Amino acid sequence: MNNLAQISEQRDFVVSSSSLKDVRSFSREVFEKVNIEQDLKDELVLAIAEAAQNIVKHAYQGEDTEDKMEIKISLSNGNLEIGFFDKGRPVEKDKIRHRKIDDIKPGGLGTFFIQQIMDAVVFKEGEKPWINHLILSKKIDY
Amino acid sequence: MSYKVTEEGEISIVHLDGEIDMDVTEKAKEVIMPLIEAKKEVHLNLKEVQYMDSSGISVLIESHQKATELGTKVILKDISKSVLKVIMMAKLEQILNLG
Repeated sequence: MNNLAQISEQRDFVVSSSSLKDVRSFSREVFEKVNIEQDLKDELVLAIAEAAQNIVKHAYQGEDTEDKMEIKISLSNGNLEIGFFDKGRPVEKDKIRHRKIDDIKPGGLGTFFIQQIMDAVVFKEGEKPWINHLILSKKIDY
Repeated sequence: MSYKVTEEGEISIVHLDGEIDMDVTEKAKEVIMPLIEAKKEVHLNLKEVQYMDSSGISVLIESHQKATELGTKVILKDISKSVLKVIMMAKLEQILNLG
């Protein structure tokens, strides 16, 4: 356990729903090194898995691919930053919104969860070879 | 995810186990939906579900709505702490039947 954690870890995953459990395992491994509440760790794992799921669902529209996505988790001075890089369809930022939470229907909750858990969600154009670069950030007290 | 279905009279009890994400939602629906379509009351036992994401929540919503449409119900039983937290984050604790 690291009370003054300076973490920077990254891993590649095949863009597939079957990779989501590996995304969670990677995230859990990283957060095990940080002295924060288990509830917060679980929330962060959920936010990361939801963002990875959005890449599979939306950037690749569920298509089979051998492409990989990269996830980078960095923590420095209490600033947690999680980067997602993919080579799927360019994200149309204006079209990204969660459904109204009182409109009860399946789907559209992943982005809502991410926004609930994280302090900031920023979409950027990826630098080559990436197409999309998503940054989730949160101030962490530990 | 693994599952077990038991019957108690007109009630079908589906015990789900493991992590429910986008990769297993079709499998979960294949188990749950035919029971609802047979107009059974369905109890989903979520005691052994350690993780559920928005895709899993979508299965719960879809099941609830299908059951309501067909005049039966889906009741969530023994909900694990982690699943309850996600249900509450989605503000569904007043919508879904929590038994």
